[in-house]
Amino acid sequence: MFAVADTCFLIDWARFGLRDLLFGLFEVVMVPEQVLAEVRSEDTLRWLAREMGREKLQLFTPTPRQLEEAQALVRRSYAIANIRKLDIPEALCLVIGREFGYVVLTENRGALMIREVVPELSGVVIWRSLEVLKESMKKGLVEVHGEGDVRALLDRYQRETLHIFPEEDLENAIREVLKYVPRGG
Amino acid sequence: MCPGEVEVPEEVRRRWEEYEKRAREIRRRMADWDFIRSQPPRIRAALELYVETGDLRLAQRISGLVLEEFVELIKKAGIRTGL
Repeated sequence: MFAVADTCFLIDWARFGLRDLLFGLFEVVMVPEQVLAEVRSEDTLRWLAREMGREKLQLFTPTPRQLEEAQALVRRSYAIANIRKLDIPEALCLVIGREFGYVVLTENRGALMIREVVPELSGVVIWRSLEVLKESMKKGLVEVHGEGDVRALLDRYQRETLHIFPEEDLENAIREVLKYVPRGG
Repeated sequence: MCPGEVEVPEEVRRRWEEYEKRAREIRRRMADWDFIRSQPPRIRAALELYVETGDLRLAQRISGLVLEEFVELIKKAGIRTGL
């Protein structure tokens, strides 16, 4: 399975102690050049460079056509009332995800919103960090033995990255994971 | 497809509004207002806008910072990302 990641996702994920979980789920995660350009901190850049060297992350250079499609999607987001507007990096991720069937890794609300209302994007699979953690637990990439362990992992992510999961989504994720893991804890 | 052709269904719009209302309350509670008020005008305006709307891209543009720098600033202001 392949993925394409945007900036919001990567800069939070890079802070997480168990960030290698990502590469248990995905063979390769694409990082568009326009995403890389938005990263400035030494820690995040070092992680990205190291994983590109290991070919776990791969720099993705969009074609002029893909860039045009992303620009059109940005313009379109401005034409739809009530949604958060897109910028080129997350729009590119949606375009690439749609074209190649890659999972789009993003925390961007605009990307989530536009996927919900634009029919051509309805087939694009978007995962936030919450879905990545959920799938990691379901696939046994991280060992959990009950609700306590599931909550502890999700709390750890929130604590280490200073990222917060919406409460309802968090509880839904915990319920879903518990269907796959033995009860205990 | 022509721009503007998509309309957000009423039920979806309401769900988003409810979500945003709850998220705004959480951002307001988390925010370190002393830190925000101590920032230069452009940064202060961007952080205040982020607290009120959660619109990361618009707030980032107002700040004049690249995305990661602005996200770091949000976290320094006590506001967690993800809402």
